[in-house]
Amino acid sequence: MGLVSAYNLRSMIVRKATAAMTAGGIAMVVAVFVMTLAIAQGFRATLVASGSPGNAIVLRKGATSETVSAVLRTDVPILESLPQVARGADGRALASPELVVIISLPRVTDNQPANVPVRGVGLKAFDLRDRLTFVEGRRFAPGTREINVGRLATGRFKGLSLGSDVRFGGNTWKVVGVFTADDAAFESEVWGDVDLMQPAFQRSDYQSMTVKLADPSMFDSFKAAVEGDPRLMLVPQREQDYYAEQSRPVTTLISVFGTFVTLILSIGAMAGAMNTMYAAVAYRTREIGTLRALGFGRLRIVSAFLAESIVLAFFGGLAGCILALPVHGLSTGTTNFSSFSEVAFKFRITPPLLVGGVIFAMAMGAVGGLLPAIRAARIPVARALREI
Amino acid sequence: MALIELRDVSKSYHRDQNEIVVLNGVTIAIGAGDFLALMGPSGSGKSTLLNLLAGIDRPTRGSIRVGDTDISGLSERALAAWRARHIGFIFQLYNLIPVLTAFENVELPLLLTPLSKKQRRDHVMTALGIVGLSDREKHYPRQLSGGQEQRVAIARAIVTDPTLLLADEPTGDLDAKSAAEILTLLQQLNRDYKKTIVMVTHDPHAAERASHVLHLEKGSLVDTAVHA
Amino acid sequence: MKYLTLVLKSALRSKRRTALTIISVALAVFLFASLRAVLDGFNAGAEASSSTRIVTIRSTSLIFSMPTSHAETIRAVPGVRDLTWANWFGGIYKDQQHSFANFAIEPESYLRVYPEILLTPDERQAFLADRTGCIVGDGLARTNGFRVGDKVTLKVGIPTYGTQDYDFTIRGIYRAGSGAVDNQSMMFHWKYADERSVVKGQLGWIVAQIASPEQEPQIAGTIDEKFANSPYETKTDTEKQFASSFVSMFGNLNLLLGSIAIAVVIATLFVAGNTMAMSVRERTTEIAVMRTLGFPGGTIFGLIAVEALLMSIVGGAVGVVLARVVVNPHVIPSGGFIPEVSVNDLNVAIGLALSAFIGIVAGLIPATLASRLKIVDALRRVA
Repeated sequence: MGLVSAYNLRSMIVRKATAAMTAGGIAMVVAVFVMTLAIAQGFRATLVASGSPGNAIVLRKGATSETVSAVLRTDVPILESLPQVARGADGRALASPELVVIISLPRVTDNQPANVPVRGVGLKAFDLRDRLTFVEGRRFAPGTREINVGRLATGRFKGLSLGSDVRFGGNTWKVVGVFTADDAAFESEVWGDVDLMQPAFQRSDYQSMTVKLADPSMFDSFKAAVEGDPRLMLVPQREQDYYAEQSRPVTTLISVFGTFVTLILSIGAMAGAMNTMYAAVAYRTREIGTLRALGFGRLRIVSAFLAESIVLAFFGGLAGCILALPVHGLSTGTTNFSSFSEVAFKFRITPPLLVGGVIFAMAMGAVGGLLPAIRAARIPVARALREI
Repeated sequence: MALIELRDVSKSYHRDQNEIVVLNGVTIAIGAGDFLALMGPSGSGKSTLLNLLAGIDRPTRGSIRVGDTDISGLSERALAAWRARHIGFIFQLYNLIPVLTAFENVELPLLLTPLSKKQRRDHVMTALGIVGLSDREKHYPRQLSGGQEQRVAIARAIVTDPTLLLADEPTGDLDAKSAAEILTLLQQLNRDYKKTIVMVTHDPHAAERASHVLHLEKGSLVDTAVHA
Repeated sequence: MKYLTLVLKSALRSKRRTALTIISVALAVFLFASLRAVLDGFNAGAEASSSTRIVTIRSTSLIFSMPTSHAETIRAVPGVRDLTWANWFGGIYKDQQHSFANFAIEPESYLRVYPEILLTPDERQAFLADRTGCIVGDGLARTNGFRVGDKVTLKVGIPTYGTQDYDFTIRGIYRAGSGAVDNQSMMFHWKYADERSVVKGQLGWIVAQIASPEQEPQIAGTIDEKFANSPYETKTDTEKQFASSFVSMFGNLNLLLGSIAIAVVIATLFVAGNTMAMSVRERTTEIAVMRTLGFPGGTIFGLIAVEALLMSIVGGAVGVVLARVVVNPHVIPSGGFIPEVSVNDLNVAIGLALSAFIGIVAGLIPATLASRLKIVDALRRVA
């Protein structure tokens, strides 16, 4: 095999313009593939990062998201008293009743009104989300009209920077801190004291309750306790499951779209690879005849040409990945329709995605190169030697 | 006055730093109706000389006159037009276009003229008739033998009724029988149709059919021998 | 024209290669036309919106409602000719997967203000007479197999509407007269929802019909002033603005789809250009022969360029036909909130123009090289 691979590699170099163009076509396909899936990955990652393994979110029975859920004031002490709920140093339950409303603020990019989620949270909210840290300012003081804003939100919506006054719910609220949470969905939100938000938005109840479990393994007994209590019309979910489910529709949509586009594009690229390999075979007919005459079997010839096509595609795939890389970390946003709120997130290219892109490229090379490789092996030797 | 005059024609190439002289101050006069064979070992410059006569290459020095035209001074565009009108070229490897039928191959040079479709057809059939292949007009080159392909090529070369026929090793790729047929055809074109022919060959049998023979060696003429 | 045989035969020189090139151009044009169709689908609402309808919502955001008294106040504003309102219901049909847009409307006025909702007089009558009746768009009817007279049950999505399921009878299937109305929705009586709501007398958005577009800024300003500094502040905008804000919620679609389209074109240029280059390279000797015969460089350039153009345009034609056949409401299920997509004539024209562009650019370099070929070099290569 050694002789044959060196021969293949050098042959490729000789026909560099053709090889480059074919690899270029494949590179573009892989770039589109990686970039569109990076959007899906980014959105998913942001939502999944919002969930902690030790937390549970409690919603009304039948509610598909927080915004259509209701947790009554009277439900709160019942939930807080459950033994599965962790307690803080002060002995109080690590639980936060919450309420999310949408306010309309202009988007920095196109000035169009965007649906910004405003989350009223309980005192313990910050303790429940341990990946949350402040980059500017401090936590809002409970009982006041101070608010905190996620870092991604300050970048995407107008008027949310530290020190700004934001008007909604008939009042003015002051931004006293900006937080980050590893790009979780919370970073697109505005947080304030839920007990002040309720009257501001003319709501009498909460929408959800987030609790930290004393131990993650206690979820099942927690769930049984909540569902078994006749006073409550509530259902708990693991926070991570909830957010994974929330991200599913959008992630699926983007992935399906991206895959569809890429697949179609790949057919064109494979056609290009096929053309190139057929031309390579035709150009080197005499060489192939010589190799055969020297005793190299058909299978060897097929493998050699197939390998050549795959290697060429591999480099194309590599180039495509490199081309796509700059989008990693780019901020963008879309609306999560189940919550009707805008989520800011970043393009996210992961190593598995890149590997997938390269493998996809190689698959294109294999499919495109197969028929020409077979043709190469089937040329009658004598005829091949006569070719010029 | 001779139909064709080459005066002190030289051709050299530059490869890297070296200058390679292919033709060295060649002077030849060719009369109308001559059948000239150019002989010489490989590398002697005979093909180059033919190319210069055809106007597909330019001399480094010297002048070439064909008929009333000094072709060494013409622009690329003018040369193309001149070539179309005055030159018929026959290649060693026939060089027919594989996707075209015999008819369409012979018709090719006529596409450069303002002739109508019907007029073109007449010319093509006449040329095919002369080379004896009227019944093969719809055949593709791959369906013809080597000798037949060369005859189609000759038909293509004469279809515009050119001033000069140039043949570069026309029998080089043919078996003895076909070669003889081709040479007979060329002689016929020369004697019966008064075509001026310059043929490059290294085959003495081919040279025998010509009216004049010139020898080239390393870019210069060696001697002149006249055959009847 | 006399060169046509030559060009056609040259293109068909390698049927396989020509076919593969046509396929890749066809796919590129198919994708391009489809992406444009998707964009058009999203923008259809905004494009077709009426310039004499304005929409009033709570300034905080759309999810908050206004009291019915707002409607009376707006009606009294000079310049307002007619008025209607609607509430987002967000009911769930079967499950989240099957969900579609459903909202409660003030029936008689809504049908007046939106003449684009096309119903037969009988259907209209039946709907107005039945408090639990509803009308569904023909797109929605097609997706779910709805017929007039069918019963539809929606589970409550938004807690304000109570806890009991809502039952409806389909009284009419409407067609959308223009893009201003989509045909994927279900509409029913506002009163039916209101009487079962936890908080009564709430309106989601108010649509006013004004006399002329020029009056819009002034009327909108007057309306918002009336409610400024009240607990229910409003924001009034043109219908176009209201519709576009929904599109922008998806994200910067123009940029995303535009970038993909560019990538598609570049990839195809590589493939098509490569093919032409290979094709020309194979023919070096022939080109030299034709130059020897006297064909000028310009003619050679033209022949190659036309060949490339021909292949591309055929590919483009195949691509737009494919797009027309595949990308239309009968094949692609829209539903929920994804608009119907179809490829209009403009997109067909753009697709063909794109294929011509690809042909020209792909053929440019090979054609130039072929026309500039040094004859003697090319001939020498073989012999």
